[in-house]
Amino acid sequence: MEAVKRALDRISVEQIKLELLGTAYNSSSTFLGRLDPRTLLLWYLFFAIVPWFVHNRTVLLGMFVLMVLTTVLSRVSPYIIFILCLGLISQIGWMFILSLFFGGGIESLLPMLTLTLKLSVISLASITVFSSLDPERLSDGLLSLGIPDTFAFSLSYGYRILPTLLEEFHQILLSFRLRGQRPLQHGLLYWRTATYYLRIVILAFYPLMLNTAKRSRTTIEALETRGFSYGLNNKKVKKIKLSYLKMKRSNWYFLSGSTVYVILLFWIGYLYPKLVY
Amino acid sequence: MSTITTRYTLTQSQKMMIFVLSMSLYGLSNMFTELVPGIKLGPIELSIEYFAFIPLTLCMLFHPLYAAIGAAVGEVIFGELMLGQFGGLGELEKFITFSLAMYTAGRMVSDPKNRRQVGVAAITGVAIHQFFSSVVDIVKVWVGVEELEAVKGLAESIIVIEGVGFLNDVLFSGILFALIPTMYLVPRLYGKIEPLLGMKPRERNMKYATGAWLSPKLVIFGTIMVMVALGSELLSESGWNFGDFEFAWAESNEESLIWLSMLVAAIVAATAIISLIRRSARKRQEAGQVDA
Repeated sequence: MEAVKRALDRISVEQIKLELLGTAYNSSSTFLGRLDPRTLLLWYLFFAIVPWFVHNRTVLLGMFVLMVLTTVLSRVSPYIIFILCLGLISQIGWMFILSLFFGGGIESLLPMLTLTLKLSVISLASITVFSSLDPERLSDGLLSLGIPDTFAFSLSYGYRILPTLLEEFHQILLSFRLRGQRPLQHGLLYWRTATYYLRIVILAFYPLMLNTAKRSRTTIEALETRGFSYGLNNKKVKKIKLSYLKMKRSNWYFLSGSTVYVILLFWIGYLYPKLVY
Repeated sequence: MSTITTRYTLTQSQKMMIFVLSMSLYGLSNMFTELVPGIKLGPIELSIEYFAFIPLTLCMLFHPLYAAIGAAVGEVIFGELMLGQFGGLGELEKFITFSLAMYTAGRMVSDPKNRRQVGVAAITGVAIHQFFSSVVDIVKVWVGVEELEAVKGLAESIIVIEGVGFLNDVLFSGILFALIPTMYLVPRLYGKIEPLLGMKPRERNMKYATGAWLSPKLVIFGTIMVMVALGSELLSESGWNFGDFEFAWAESNEESLIWLSMLVAAIVAATAIISLIRRSARKRQEAGQVDA
């Protein structure tokens, strides 16, 4: 019960807000944050797709080491890492226990481990890349790689509007709590309290929907006044907008270093496919 | 004299408004559901899967296509990118299945004031989405683990986990976070939220104009077909596993059933992707003029 209580104390809107803002806005001070967004996106594309099709454990382990290194370099919030680990462990753990039930043995742990390794390489790569790109650069990088403009726009809009939205949501939630009464007893496993909070969270979306509707109209009208859709469909405008993206020397070092590492890894993996287990 | 059929037309900026509205609202809710851990009772997870009522409500009140795609984009941006949980290719799959399901649910409603219709559409949308994502999850493990058959019990356990997850998401999250809130919100917001975006409410009993061949019927039928295929595979698998009596052709039969179900799933997925791409291409062409 104590554990539940402590967990509930930790999850307040305020806490989540701080955590989110920290994740979304602490970038561009790290080594990876200074690289060109296109470099990072290309790098990410490789590490998001290739691990699925590699079954060589040595190669996967090598990739994992690289990912841990880059994750440390990009200074990710520990909360995010914690959520990631929790998800991985619970998913794989249950699969293992159920496969024991269906007549599997301890030997079924090994392929599961490979799967975990793959999943963690992929997720760590995405954590590294997206926590070290700030929204403006990310959306410009995507735009220059030919992603639809609407998506690139909504990305930077999302980052901009997030603090406002969270603030407003918090206000509405507080006003609901002021006017209502919390259940007097927590109930078994805190279900009364949990139900009460969930109900408020859902109800809070009614005013929030109306407010956001008003806000999105204002935003779009302001954008249109400045010729937003015209600018999006105009090649010249795009070129001017993206002219600040330059591939500096550090980008090439980063890319070529990674390539050499991966080639070496595949070579070692070919020579010793069972280096670890 | 021919009567002019009234169609639900929107200007470019109105489409954008719907998109932005749906994106920011659903994205915000997604952040909460991602960060709040759930209660686990064994493999049954009593967690808040997602606040499906938000995209469902918006799809029913506004044009379903823009609301659905907006919500899917919101999920990717707020729920994944900002939290640093972007899953690469997995997100593409989520994006497609989610927007397909929400779009279907939105199309199913012709009268937002009719609570029964809204409820049926809401639960159907959730079921379609959850079903497709469980199928994709199963296939993912199939691809990710080498020599799946070598690991005893892995195939069965994945199917059990995904099956239980599917039922839990539809029956628990589906009713609590999709059905009830949507039935409460849609009739209440109808006529109130549209003027804030500077548009007329969707007319009641209005039918969407032709040209969108991706109809709810097609999607629901496709889902049922995949379900039948998977179910038959599951049966064959378990029969083979318990091994009380084994026909000579049981092995090959089971093999072919797996491929059959995979094939059906692939066809459905390919159809969905192609249709979405085509639609978006056409949309871009006639942007700002006509609305399908």
